[in-house]
Amino acid sequence: MPEAIGVAQRRLEGGDKVSGRTAYVADVRVPNALHAELVSSPYAHARVVSIDRTAAEAMPGVVAVLTADEIGSLGLLAKGEVFYAGQPVAVVVADDRRLAADAAQVVRVRYERLPAVVDPVAALREDAPAVLPAELRSQRADAGAHGADAAQHAASQRANVCGEAHFARGDVEQGLRLADVVVEARYRIPALYQGYLEPHGTVAVPEGDRLTVYTTTQGQFAVREEVCQATGLPEHRVKVVGMQVGGGFGAKFVKLEPLCAALALRLRQPVRLVLSRSGDFLTSRPGNFAEIGVRLGARRDGTLTALAADLLLDAGAQEDGTVGIAAMLIGSTYRVPHLLVDGYEVLTHKTPSGAYRAPGAPQAYYALESAMDELARKLGQDPFELRLRSACQQGDPRANGAPWPRIGLVETLEAARNHPFWRERSRQADEGYGVAAGGWPGGTEPAAAACRINGDGSITVQVGSVDITGTNTVFAQMAAQVFGVRADAVAVSAADTDAAPYSGSSGGSKITFTVGNAVLQAAQDARQQVLEMAAQELEASASDLDMAEGRVFVRGAPSRAVSVADLARSTTAFGGSAAPLVGRGRVAIKRASPGFAVHVARVRVDRRTGEVQPIGYLAVQDVGRALNPMAVAGQIRGGVSQSLGRALGEAMRWGDSGQLLTGSFLDYAVPRAADVPPIEVELVEVPAEEGPFGAKGVGEPPAVPGAAAIANAVADATGVRVRDLPLRPETVLAALAGETS
Amino acid sequence: MKPAAFGYLTPRTREEAIEVLSRYAGDAKVLAGGQSLVPLLNFRLTSFRYLVDINRIPDLDYIRSEQGYLAIGALARHRSVEQSAEAARECPLLPEALQFVGHPVIRQRGTVCGSIAHADPSAELPALLTALGGSVVLEGSSGRRVADAEEYFLGYLMTAQQPDELLVEARFPKLPNGSGFAFEELARRHGDFAIVGVACAALPDGSVRLGVCGANSVPFRPLKAETAAAQGDLQEAGRLAAADSDPDSDLHATAEYRRAMVSKLVERAVRHALERKEGNARG
Ligand SMILES: Cc1cc2nc3c(=O)[nH]c(=O)nc-3n(C[C@H](O)[C@H](O)[C@H](O)COP(=O)(O)OP(=O)(O)OC[C@H]3O[C@@H](n4cnc5c(N)ncnc54)[C@H](O)[C@@H]3O)c2cc1C
Repeated sequence: MPEAIGVAQRRLEGGDKVSGRTAYVADVRVPNALHAELVSSPYAHARVVSIDRTAAEAMPGVVAVLTADEIGSLGLLAKGEVFYAGQPVAVVVADDRRLAADAAQVVRVRYERLPAVVDPVAALREDAPAVLPAELRSQRADAGAHGADAAQHAASQRANVCGEAHFARGDVEQGLRLADVVVEARYRIPALYQGYLEPHGTVAVPEGDRLTVYTTTQGQFAVREEVCQATGLPEHRVKVVGMQVGGGFGAKFVKLEPLCAALALRLRQPVRLVLSRSGDFLTSRPGNFAEIGVRLGARRDGTLTALAADLLLDAGAQEDGTVGIAAMLIGSTYRVPHLLVDGYEVLTHKTPSGAYRAPGAPQAYYALESAMDELARKLGQDPFELRLRSACQQGDPRANGAPWPRIGLVETLEAARNHPFWRERSRQADEGYGVAAGGWPGGTEPAAAACRINGDGSITVQVGSVDITGTNTVFAQMAAQVFGVRADAVAVSAADTDAAPYSGSSGGSKITFTVGNAVLQAAQDARQQVLEMAAQELEASASDLDMAEGRVFVRGAPSRAVSVADLARSTTAFGGSAAPLVGRGRVAIKRASPGFAVHVARVRVDRRTGEVQPIGYLAVQDVGRALNPMAVAGQIRGGVSQSLGRALGEAMRWGDSGQLLTGSFLDYAVPRAADVPPIEVELVEVPAEEGPFGAKGVGEPPAVPGAAAIANAVADATGVRVRDLPLRPETVLAALAGETS
Repeated sequence: MKPAAFGYLTPRTREEAIEVLSRYAGDAKVLAGGQSLVPLLNFRLTSFRYLVDINRIPDLDYIRSEQGYLAIGALARHRSVEQSAEAARECPLLPEALQFVGHPVIRQRGTVCGSIAHADPSAELPALLTALGGSVVLEGSSGRRVADAEEYFLGYLMTAQQPDELLVEARFPKLPNGSGFAFEELARRHGDFAIVGVACAALPDGSVRLGVCGANSVPFRPLKAETAAAQGDLQEAGRLAAADSDPDSDLHATAEYRRAMVSKLVERAVRHALERKEGNARG
């Protein structure tokens, strides 16, 4: 029997997606559904003086116009005061979608404009006005307050600091004095929209004392929890149906669901709230803007002596926790005796930041890996040599002092260095190569799964995770491997929250790692049950039996066999004597498995226009074990493409008074197929001790190093360093002009 | 988003179309391929009481070789012109410029005349029509007239077309045998509206024609630059074209950058056109 894991397996749901058969939340049709439309504030900061709903309410077909005064904020609606442009102040519900949009346009809201704090640097200042009133601020969750001194405490007292992280080791000033070469630079990376194809949408259906919520989310159990908190319903009366997700990338946890649920309960009718693209941009939860200052010192031979980094992340108008990850990663990648990391996250009057694929990591590694590249250039050293000299390995301390578990950073760097893409590099005029590493700590969360043997011997795996990356396909492969069958003999049922075993949200590169372990355990449990039944049938000991292609046989005597179908049939028959075959898996893995990636970009720069064209790309990644190499490569290509956008064109931009300027795909430029060069993918396999078959999470790491790889390639091509992303032609041209003038 | 409600009219003849346009003057808008109008409606940046869909009017979907010019009917799609043998033969700069207009799916529905009527200063075809000294044929309740490109384009999304007028035909002058031509463009991504675009034709008589988009509220012909180009001074041509342009800053590029790019792209377009002209002369 050929192996089911480690081989390319098409996504189970892929055919439906490419042929347009997949139903997304906007396709959910419920009889008598009402349509909700948000009324959004044009101002970034304002007091809501009055809301005149009479014209809207008078339109035939409009059912209600509601505000936070009647239904509460529900995580979205402004209550008395608006904190970002685009924040909904009211919601119109009508029996037709277009009508709801028409009515939303005639809701008259009077605002008293208040000064808006838009720039995160200004928000950090001591005299900055507070972005949010105290009652909207939660207890601050600080990441590792190590070596906090008086100055830091002072900063913490500032009105808009909503998160911070501090790490220190040794004496960084002393370390910088010991250096022969010091790089000192500041890097800026803009806020980014996740650019998923499917805008947010939810349909909530009240049924007696129960509520069903259809939604596009990465985590249906998280949605259930928040809907229950918002509505007061107990969790067993709320069913969340996680639909197929048309892209999430961290943006789709919980957004519209509490509001939609509250509307449905209040109006006792199904309510559908599906955002337009513009509505989605306005209420988006983009990845954080970051400004990161780095001082990096090294000896002539490349030994690092000191790293000081200060990070400023923009949280927008809601508290966020990204700075902790960013600060941790920046101080944990290379061995350095003297370290000082100070990270702050500030509130501003902009749409609240959220997670974008490896939140915090692309920002941290853009700064760190650009600085490493600048250092390599100053030292005249090979970029791989410099990194390999200090790259962390198992046991090396992270920023917080805790030792790394087994990681594959060194192996990944070596694989990239030895790859022909790098070894046989050839540079034409105005071309360059850039190297960058990046990583992601991984994630954990308890998870459960079940594995059922059906009456005909076929296998059904039940999970509660939302499949955004092909995880169901991998679960099928895992169960198939355990039973010695082909993956298509296994069905994976990702059921709603009523029917499915618990799973965490699909984010943080943890589903294969956690739910996968539960699936593996469940499949092994079911297999053992089958073997025990067969042992009786064959009058052999279960430990002497093996299983393949739907048959159980005595090892060494393959003719003594029984089919799994025959066994299974007796568990589903009237009067049958054997209990149904149901394997169970429950895990609470405590240690995450970090993953590293190394990217090499090749670019060509047009010195007359400043245009940067990526012309080749190598992505190397430690994936622990590639359970489905095709899906892994797909994740990597997607991550690289997003990094190209990050590096070259994408940026959420706001006007001085806080209006979103990039409110549609007309102005927010994601890379298209023609903008992505051929990508070579190379997989490294340093097994994760606790991963299923050694697998690690693979989703986030490929989105991490790309921006620095491109920026470093541009520096290589031109000799000029641009530190503010994106590297738009105009920016690059200005830098080139600055160099020559 | 969804557009505000509108009445949808489907005239079967030009006369009928002109009749409803003049009846609802100002409240009615022609709908051709919808690739510019429908997004504006969907974003609710504009709304009209009536849309006058001209797609059912016969005899407007043509590409014809006439005396001295290529005639493109109001319903000829970008894509058919791009693939037309007449266009390739008589005015090869037109299919070349069309490569820069959006993407195949957009060119499949969008019309050449719609692009001209829309008069986006960043659009390629108006610049081309201007460069070549082309014209449009308008029909309205007061009759039929021909307007030169330079009098037709008035400003940002503004033309000399009256609300009751239908643009029935665009006329692109033929490029004589032995001409060289080029279209150069800088856009954020391929298929986006131009930050700056330059159409160039180097004619056998030694003259050079240029049209620039993205650098003014209307597409324009930098006449001094044409003269310098004809004299073979490419850098000077670029400089003069930049001096003649008056771009605005926007989200995607500052005015200074646009101006600088006019210079670079004019240089590049002229060089490319002259090289091709030479190739044609030899070949
Ligand atoms: C994603 C995208 C990318 C695009 N990229 C580009 C690009 O790079 N460059 C570019 O130039 N264009 C681009 N376009 C626009 C495209 O070229 C349009 O097809 C064209 O601008 C309008 O032609 P249409 O037939 O679709 O006109 P419509 O959208 O139907 O109409 C446009 C306007 O012209 C008027 N009009 C149309 N035809 C007539 C007529 N016969 N008589 C009188 N008035 C008329 C309409 O009333 C309306 O005001 C893009 C469009 C999209 C959606």
